[in-house]
Amino acid sequence: MCAMKGVNRRQFIAGSTILTGAAMLPWSGNVAAAVSSATDASGSPRKGGVLRISVDQAAGMLNPQQARVNPEYLLAELLYSGLTRLTQDMKAEADLAESWKASDDLTQWTFTLRKNLSFHDGSACTSADVVASLNAILDPKNASPGQHNIGPIKTVTAPDADTVVIGTDGPYADLPVMLAYPDAKIIPAAIAGGQPERLSKEAIGTGPFKLVSFEPERLIVVERNPHYYDPSRPHLDRVEVVVYPDAIAEGSALIAGDTDLMLSAASTEFARLSKSSGIVPLRVSSGQFLNVNMGCDTKPFNDVRVRQALALCVDRKATVDFVAEGYGTAGNDTPLNTAYPYYLNEPLKEPDYAKAKALLKDAGYPDGLDLTLIASDKPSTRTQLGIALREMAKPGGFRINVQTMAHSTYLDQVWKKGNFYVGFYNMQPTPDAVFSLLYTSTASWNETRWNNTEFDTAVKAARETADPAKRTELYGKAQKLMHDQVPSLIPAFFDLLAAGRDYVAGYQLHPRGAVFRLDHVWLTAKAPTRK
Amino acid sequence: MTASYLFKRFMLVIYTLLVVSLLVFGITQLLPADAAVTLLGQNATPQALAAVRARLGLNDPAWLQYWHWLRGVLHGDFGVSMRNGLPVAPTIMAALGRSLLLAVCALLLMLVVAIPLGIWAAVRRGKLADMLVSVLSYVGISFPEFVTATLLLLLFADVWQILPATGYVPLTEDFRGGISHLILPSVTVAMILVAHVSRMVRSEMVDVLQTDYIRAAHLKGLSRRRILWRHALRNGLLPTITIVALDVGYLLGGIVVVEEIFAIPGIGRELIVAVQARDLPTIQAGVLILAATYSIVNFLADLAYVFLDKRISYA
Amino acid sequence: MRDVMKHLIRSPQGAVGLFILVVAALMVCGGAHIAPYDPESISILARYKAPSAEHWFGTDQLGRDIFSRVMVGARATIVLSLLATLMSMVTGAVIGTASAYLGGKTDEAIMRTMDAVMSIPSLLFALLIVSTLGQSSFNAVLAITIAFVPGMVRIARSVSLAARQQDYVSAAIARGEATHYIILREMLPNIVAPIIVEATIRVAFAIMLFATLSFLGLGAQPPEPEWGLMVSEARAYFFNAPWMMLIPGVAIALVAIGFNLLGDGLRDALNPRSH
Repeated sequence: MCAMKGVNRRQFIAGSTILTGAAMLPWSGNVAAAVSSATDASGSPRKGGVLRISVDQAAGMLNPQQARVNPEYLLAELLYSGLTRLTQDMKAEADLAESWKASDDLTQWTFTLRKNLSFHDGSACTSADVVASLNAILDPKNASPGQHNIGPIKTVTAPDADTVVIGTDGPYADLPVMLAYPDAKIIPAAIAGGQPERLSKEAIGTGPFKLVSFEPERLIVVERNPHYYDPSRPHLDRVEVVVYPDAIAEGSALIAGDTDLMLSAASTEFARLSKSSGIVPLRVSSGQFLNVNMGCDTKPFNDVRVRQALALCVDRKATVDFVAEGYGTAGNDTPLNTAYPYYLNEPLKEPDYAKAKALLKDAGYPDGLDLTLIASDKPSTRTQLGIALREMAKPGGFRINVQTMAHSTYLDQVWKKGNFYVGFYNMQPTPDAVFSLLYTSTASWNETRWNNTEFDTAVKAARETADPAKRTELYGKAQKLMHDQVPSLIPAFFDLLAAGRDYVAGYQLHPRGAVFRLDHVWLTAKAPTRK
Repeated sequence: MTASYLFKRFMLVIYTLLVVSLLVFGITQLLPADAAVTLLGQNATPQALAAVRARLGLNDPAWLQYWHWLRGVLHGDFGVSMRNGLPVAPTIMAALGRSLLLAVCALLLMLVVAIPLGIWAAVRRGKLADMLVSVLSYVGISFPEFVTATLLLLLFADVWQILPATGYVPLTEDFRGGISHLILPSVTVAMILVAHVSRMVRSEMVDVLQTDYIRAAHLKGLSRRRILWRHALRNGLLPTITIVALDVGYLLGGIVVVEEIFAIPGIGRELIVAVQARDLPTIQAGVLILAATYSIVNFLADLAYVFLDKRISYA
Repeated sequence: MRDVMKHLIRSPQGAVGLFILVVAALMVCGGAHIAPYDPESISILARYKAPSAEHWFGTDQLGRDIFSRVMVGARATIVLSLLATLMSMVTGAVIGTASAYLGGKTDEAIMRTMDAVMSIPSLLFALLIVSTLGQSSFNAVLAITIAFVPGMVRIARSVSLAARQQDYVSAAIARGEATHYIILREMLPNIVAPIIVEATIRVAFAIMLFATLSFLGLGAQPPEPEWGLMVSEARAYFFNAPWMMLIPGVAIALVAIGFNLLGDGLRDALNPRSH
């Protein structure tokens, strides 16, 4: 599938070794065993069948460039395509663009589109549509979640109908991977320029499936697109996305056979699902994390000793138990873990209350410190972390009051503004993506206001080079800085969990959390027929 | 039943709806965070927020927003959802339809179970049967619905696997299947109603059975069964109609929990999501339609009450 | 009064109801002292332990002792529900009695408005109010109070209407007493009995409503050991540790049954017809 024709050796290496680290990651072996469904070894994919997949919240946004939650990412993937897609090990593979190459200075990227692409309504998909789509995503008026997440793009032009040239602001090695962002989907130019509201009710994309019916709170049905650019896919005739707001009912539905696949399983349901007959549990280590953001520019967190003291109160392994029911990995106060390339393996911080108290005393708080921690109610693991932190920090002299609030109120009044609150983030495709999103001074979501110039320099230098050795060194430096200065507490990472019936083949849990690739899924002969 | 009475009652319904819409609108104006924030979520730049607010008309003064909405409603246009741009009226009406279906099933179940139970307990007053019904009804109203719903779901859908785990399949698609999907949610809702109504029926029947009217009938030599069915029942059932009508309010908006657990996209669930998303048009339309349904049902109940009452008086 | 108490204790419902509530009252007052462990201290090693000699009701997902949480939580659950019912009872009684006394157009207007408010389902109303004021126990109490008021007004009014006809009211009017004096000092004391009966049954409703609000995330907030919140959080862990949900659930049920029994017993004791 990864046909990268016409790329000379240098650029090929530049393109694919960015994430070579991923292939050498210790977890890759385990992933293969844990995530694949039971039957991918049993021969070639069968054509046909209806897959019923359950999701835990409504997929309200049909417009792919506005998708924000997993069910919406799923729909965007089913109905639309981008220039590139993510593979299981976080590399870029061809989607609408069959090949690409970069200039020597990594600022001009040329993408060559496949021939004879068409939208669901029959109109042709050309470079003009790509240009319009990318510009729509970058336009601040549209407020697309992809605006800051597809790379520092300066210009997008179309020298001819099959070619798109993207110019970046400075050398940027990760562009093809970033263009696989779930919202970076190609829509018709006429709609991108004129009436984006049409996409709230209809889907006019180039994806492997076409929209049949759309009831966002209940059921969304899509069927195979016969004109998809790859005639061998999708294998399924139809996909039905069913909404189950309650985790227990969702689990019961899978156990009873009402559904075939669950997009994600709650950690509390996972044990039950694993034990049920006919069900294959799916699990993959990922970089999804909860953090505790501290405003580094105001008291008391402007004193690094206070932050370090708090970090020394946290038992990280226990946090994984409390918050992820053990399905996770411990965090060392950096947003990277083994699921990312260039991860620096430092020894895990252990609680040391004596040192914590001493640090607090040095910082001027001999009698301890009173704090209010804000946790939004979505997901509920935020509150659990808050409560665990409150208890763990008591012996260190911290008296934390946990305050929960509605998610919408949190977004309005606390997020990016507050001094001490719990954040929650999905895994990003590259270390640069997560650092530039959250921790550099120019980050679009600079919640901690840490503004550390040494860190900024290291991250910037790392993104501008494609040399893995240099990148390892620079990202190592960046991680060490975060580990020592603790702009935010990151005690735990979540494994992604899901489950499916044993007749579902070809489905793999993707650590990114927003990639599903249902066009590779097929049903074995054991599957029930659904009309 | 004069025309002026009917007209007066109708105006009352209109007045009710007006008060309800003003009340809800007033409260929504006080909600922290608006639809723009929840729509854009973590991608909200100030310019984007401003753009969305202008598009949704959120910058207009409150009374103007209300006036626009009211004018729309009088023309039958309930506006467009701030969440996904889909027209509100069809979504709400579809959701209401599903809740009504569940409500009707629960009510039927309740009538079939509660009334005989109540009568039985009244007739056997003071004996074991009475106490049994009493105990069962106390238990029925003492567990929160989400507890009974969970226990029923786990027992019937999971452990024994004789009923499906979802509550909703359109009856038009699959009638028999659709009914089987409705059993668990209806039973959950009906439990509380049965407890309620059977006690009410029992106490009303006890009162009626002790009246001179009934004693006289006994003395006249009428058979027990005849007394029960023709005289006592009608008198005892009248208050039931009122209780049921009042319960409709609970049935429509209050069974959110059952709707959530059994994945029925009914109006309670729809409204909760709308409130979380600050989706004003959906909230307004939803509450209004609920209030209207409630008023109409109560109106019909009043009519039924008077109708039955007249017949009884003349019997 | 003594008569009423005698009748109450004689009836089986009254006796059982009273007993349950006395136990509940003890828990409310002394719960924190009886609790063997700190209801909030978490422990990694003691998670999901079944009921045993060490932990009578077992432990929860954070290793907290459930018996201690139930004891301390009695205060939050019962007192808050009582508070909501009491506030709505007082407000409803005052408005209802005033409406009955004032009669005519004012009475009509007040009652129609109450009917209108009643047509909004109480859960939804509570949801709107809590969303506006913020999620906390106190705001949930406020929300439940406001949702209960119209029902209380109705009852108070109908009872007051009957009382209004009584001689002692006419006598007070003839004496030239002020309106508020008549309402508060003459009518109110006489309608208290039926309202109290209704109120005891409403407390059970309030407990249920509180628990449902917690299930939706709008009532008490973690780590408060409020019973409804405990049940709704424990739902997710039902397969690992069913006691986490069942024990507080049974506690809620028992207290609700207690209030219902007391209400029925009071109704029988206060009703001259059944003697």
